[in-house]
Amino acid sequence: MDKALSGLKVDTLSVAYGAHLAVDAISLTIPKGKITVLAGPNGCGKSTLLRAIRRLHAAKTGRVLLGETDIGKMREKEIAREIGLLAQSPSAPEDMRVEELVRLGRYPHQAMLQPWSKDDAAAVEDAMFGTGVGHLRDRRLGSLSGGQLQRAWIAMVLAQQTDIVCLDEPVNHLDMAHQIDCLDLVSRLNREHGRTVVLVLHDLNLAARYADLLVFMKDGGIVSAGSPHQLMTEEQIASVFGIQCRVIEDPVHDRPLCIPMRNSSPRFEVQG
Amino acid sequence: MTAAESRLPLIYAGLALLLAFAVLGSLMLGYTIYMPGELWNALASSGTSEADTVIREYRLPRAMMAPLVGAALGVAGVMVQTLSRNRIASPDTLGLNAGASLAVVAASVGLGISSLAVLSLVAAAGAFLTSILVFALAATAGGLSPLRIVLVGVTFAALMNAMVEVILTVNEAELQQLLFWLSGAFVDRPLSLVARNIPLLALGGVMAAMLARPLDALQTDDATAQSLGAPIRVIRIASFVAVALLTGASVAMAGPVGFVGLVVPHAARALVGARHGEKLVAAALIGAVYTTAADILARFVIYPTEAPVGAITAVVGAGLLLVLLRRRAA
Repeated sequence: MDKALSGLKVDTLSVAYGAHLAVDAISLTIPKGKITVLAGPNGCGKSTLLRAIRRLHAAKTGRVLLGETDIGKMREKEIAREIGLLAQSPSAPEDMRVEELVRLGRYPHQAMLQPWSKDDAAAVEDAMFGTGVGHLRDRRLGSLSGGQLQRAWIAMVLAQQTDIVCLDEPVNHLDMAHQIDCLDLVSRLNREHGRTVVLVLHDLNLAARYADLLVFMKDGGIVSAGSPHQLMTEEQIASVFGIQCRVIEDPVHDRPLCIPMRNSSPRFEVQG
Repeated sequence: MTAAESRLPLIYAGLALLLAFAVLGSLMLGYTIYMPGELWNALASSGTSEADTVIREYRLPRAMMAPLVGAALGVAGVMVQTLSRNRIASPDTLGLNAGASLAVVAASVGLGISSLAVLSLVAAAGAFLTSILVFALAATAGGLSPLRIVLVGVTFAALMNAMVEVILTVNEAELQQLLFWLSGAFVDRPLSLVARNIPLLALGGVMAAMLARPLDALQTDDATAQSLGAPIRVIRIASFVAVALLTGASVAMAGPVGFVGLVVPHAARALVGARHGEKLVAAALIGAVYTTAADILARFVIYPTEAPVGAITAVVGAGLLLVLLRRRAA
């Protein structure tokens, strides 16, 4: 893998759904070997930005640069060898087995009729071992718990062996223990294997706990980007999320902790 | 290596052996039963006894045609089910058989064509035209989503089947002759029909083999398949072409043989798992065995008259599907 290619830069990128600009002239440098978390209220464009970084959406204007290369000009498999993406609520047949799913991660590394190689096998074993799904390899996806299933999907993305890994709300349907479990796994991949990670997270406190770079988005633009301590202030959170809160220091993790109090612009009125 | 993978050689060998028996049975069994010695004589020499003629002119074409049609429909079925992400889809769902039937009925009733060779060409053309139509409509606006493919296909299948029935109701005289064709049959088809369609089958088969891995990726949602580097639009177009080739050639040879493309993929999946490299091979073998066996059965269920093979594949297939569903393998 060409390490020089791995720096990722978003350059005045706009993405449109019809006439609506979901991402509006965003510029952002994703730091190499760090965890970047995109956060913001629903509909702020964070998932769209993540998907556009992986070219699942075409750029209306601007571009995404991988090193010196515009990803708009790369071939499908080429991008897939550099950037992996775990989609929001991904799906596969229920009777597919875990190992069959993880093997799909090798797709961009295989030529059309090329047989399964030692590298492929090793990558799949590493990915299953690293995510702790090795013992589930012959289980059908439909028989897994939510946490196990999410691990299997992460294993598939890891088998892709990309320097950059994007995850779109990976802990959405997981209970608290599995949320922490999943994000600890992601942060270990980052620390131990030096992978650049870009995450979309809903939960601000989880975002603050795992982010090296935190990015607040609103209305298709970036409001602010910086360390969790820089961004997690009561004023910032009020202006981005429209909620009054108290920010204290997490007594365990040396990270800011947000305690939401009252919605400053309530969306649901209580009648009577 | 997965558990299923270590069993693969055994599974393939078993299916190949079954196929060999089925083909042998297809040559031997029928109105008259021939022993292997007689088969050998007929196929190796150029004798002109009655047995030689029957074996060469009648038994051999159908013993070749049935496995080819079964294999083609099995492979096409697997591809359609992946393409539409729908386990109850089949080439019928895309309206290909209905399109072929309509073309044949229209040509027969409207133009008075009765030559089998011409009708088989008409059938293939009907299947191709339908696939282009369904594809074009599914591709506009919604962009080839699996659901759209199924909806457009089912709509056209219903529409064209209704038109077939209208034409046949109005032209009762043709009914008798066409009804047999419309249920699919291998009886009385010349060897030249097989020869003419083999290139189409070969092309479809090669395309299917090349699409095996892309189809693996296409089993996931669009976003995942795309982020794996699979060009989903190209894969869908190519799969559509392969399915049209395989189904078109099958229909040209035997008419619309229903249910093979629906049932066989379930059996293949239960036997070898989700990967297309293995699933397509297994589906070809299972489809060949299944259709050949059904063709043998068709000679005996209403003996001495021949039953349409499509009726057999449908009845047996429905039973098989229920068993598979009960075992949750489907």
